[in-house]
Amino acid sequence: MRRVIVFQALACAVLFGQAGPYQRQEVDKSGVDRGKRVYTQFCINCHGALAKGTEQGPDLIRSPLVLRDRLGDQLGPALKKLPNHKADLTQAQVADLTHFLKDQVEATAKNRNPEHPPNVLTGNLEAGRAYFNGAGKCNTCHSPAGDLAGVGRKYNPLDLQQRFLFPRRSKPLQVTVTLAGGQPITGVLERIDDFSVALRDASGEHRTFSRDSRDKNVKVDINDPLATHNQMLDVYTDQDMHNVVRYLESLQ
Amino acid sequence: MKRAMKRLAVFLVAVAAFGQATFPEAWPSYNGDYTGRRYSTLAKINQSNINSLSLAWVYRVNPGRAPQAGGGNVNTTIKGTPVVVNGVLYTTIPDHVWAIDARTGREIWHYAWASKGGWHIGNRGVAVLRETVYVETPDCNLVALNTKDGKEKWHTQICDLEQFYYASVAPIIVSHNGANHVITGVSGDDLDIPGYIESHDPDTGKLQWRWYAHPEPGTPEAKTWPSVEAMLHGGGMTWVPSTYDPGLNLLYFGTGNPQPVIAGQGREGSNLYTECIIALNPDTGKLAWYFQPSPHDTHDWDAVQTPVLFDGEINGQPRKLLAQASRNGWFFVLDRVTGKNILSSEFVKTNWTLGVDAKGQPIPNPAKQPKLDGALVTPNQGGAMNWPSPSFNPETGLFYANAARAWSVYYLYDDDDKPEGWGGNDRSGVSDALLQAIDYRTGKVRWSHKWPGNGGGVRSGLLNTAGKLLFAGDPSSNLVALDPVTGELLWHTALHTNITNGPITYELDGVQYLVVGAGDTLYGFAMRAR
Repeated sequence: MRRVIVFQALACAVLFGQAGPYQRQEVDKSGVDRGKRVYTQFCINCHGALAKGTEQGPDLIRSPLVLRDRLGDQLGPALKKLPNHKADLTQAQVADLTHFLKDQVEATAKNRNPEHPPNVLTGNLEAGRAYFNGAGKCNTCHSPAGDLAGVGRKYNPLDLQQRFLFPRRSKPLQVTVTLAGGQPITGVLERIDDFSVALRDASGEHRTFSRDSRDKNVKVDINDPLATHNQMLDVYTDQDMHNVVRYLESLQ
Repeated sequence: MKRAMKRLAVFLVAVAAFGQATFPEAWPSYNGDYTGRRYSTLAKINQSNINSLSLAWVYRVNPGRAPQAGGGNVNTTIKGTPVVVNGVLYTTIPDHVWAIDARTGREIWHYAWASKGGWHIGNRGVAVLRETVYVETPDCNLVALNTKDGKEKWHTQICDLEQFYYASVAPIIVSHNGANHVITGVSGDDLDIPGYIESHDPDTGKLQWRWYAHPEPGTPEAKTWPSVEAMLHGGGMTWVPSTYDPGLNLLYFGTGNPQPVIAGQGREGSNLYTECIIALNPDTGKLAWYFQPSPHDTHDWDAVQTPVLFDGEINGQPRKLLAQASRNGWFFVLDRVTGKNILSSEFVKTNWTLGVDAKGQPIPNPAKQPKLDGALVTPNQGGAMNWPSPSFNPETGLFYANAARAWSVYYLYDDDDKPEGWGGNDRSGVSDALLQAIDYRTGKVRWSHKWPGNGGGVRSGLLNTAGKLLFAGDPSSNLVALDPVTGELLWHTALHTNITNGPITYELDGVQYLVVGAGDTLYGFAMRAR
């Protein structure tokens, strides 16, 4: 009985150092390393290199017992009861083991971000060049010796792929507003919705014009150079995309 | 008390008369009625007087400095639809409920739940039955509060925080033949866990039944998974409120994405009952039928969008229908008695299918599943639709969706035979915000309004009224009223930020109110013109 109380007091002390009984166990990096050694020695054969289970043993990342455990309070007793398990691990070893397993859990929960940037250079350079100068009509506005000179050096391949598909605006959008019977007013578009358009004119003045769908007296023209890029999204095949990215990457 | 009971009786009688249910003095549940149409018969605010609509009150939620466990900062965005019963409006953010005077916007009480964690991404609102308010908390509890003072009556656990579940959906009350049910749903796709829906006793919180979003092992449907292990960890969360047909006694809801979310190579097959529109008997939790909008989804396109119920005419025959504008860009009309498909069509252009199968379900194109070097896909992960509520107008026969045409590149990050978690993601590109009016008889978009300015990201639900008005939020912080027949813009007012919930309407003392949430603020408008 006394041992139990001492253990509980110890567990409480350790837990209070953590975030609280319902919060996840804070993973201790040195514990992860030690726990990995325990895992590799005693668990890996049945539960697999990443604790995702094998035919011999279940997935430990998905195990409710592991998920509910705090520093071995459930894993320790379970190891003593389960057949063919290491029953004589020390409390410290069990705690280390939980740090390793919790680290695997947290990594799984964050598995929406890549460990390494994906390799997007899978296309054909010459096919990309041909598309650029042919079907894609990219050379209508762009040239490898002009605006795209060194673009393969400027961006990593992943960013290059994203920017080729979804280019960012290099210059502010220009808008021309024409009131009935008035002169066109051109400036940098600051804001537009169905009911007003705001621009900054050549003199630096901020000007807002009301517009109303039933009042056609305000004509608004926006020349968006990226509109063609957006239309091309319906045209590119994934192979075109990979080929063009490979070609753009070659423009060092 | 007598007054409250009388009103409840009116409410229940009105509910029983499906299709004609009207609650002029109330907005008694998430969708205003069981159908999910978000169509109000109120017409005091109408096309002829909309320019006389005035701001009646503003209420800003203030959760105080309560510590927030597990989910980062307090999320004060009102993503729930308020519920109005007996002149009291109930609104929520995660862990918090406020009762507000629906006439004046003055606070009556505020309830704060001491959180133990969970994602604080949003809360969809409350359910009310008699003198009890029900709300879910991010740390997996269903809490029952007294309508009078907001004091807790009881709480009960509805999911396991340890397995990375959390709870956000508005409970729905189903009353049938004297039996009452509080229907709850769950969220969470960080780890691979099964989704489910539950029914609880409204008086005690006791579990009545639980239905898992996967088949029983050994059944034919279980063959849509490569293994029992994959199936029992296959996701299918239930995070948008249900609709209900009292005549058929069927509860309808959608299930979310399968898990692992993006890396689907460890779960070959269509992965039932994830990505499904489900019909259940609410007394037993027994499955009546299913229809799967996104078989073997690998794009996080939860099919949870409100299944809207209405009676219509197909080929000259009266039919009991169900329609959904799904996150994957497809619009479905089903027979809600049998679940049989009547119509499948795109409500925005997509590029991920090879057509539809014999059941009317889209066939995913393997070439557009996430790839190590990327696949260009439309819609993006946010989807052509998301949780913001659609609306159906029985006068126009049109189904309205505040939609997006959006592109992104889907990358597979984890090509292991047994990926877990997400195993990939999309990188977003461009997005246009579109209000689509869809003809349920043809599936064609009758009219489309492209919101100018900031593309995508519209999180405003929709509301139709008998005043021949369609209310919507645009991506530029405007509350807009449109002509539901033509899409013509009739009225607008600029709020301090974009609308973040579904507009509601109710009438008190002969005054029709319109309430919308934008960020942390509710705006109450009133028509006082006679």
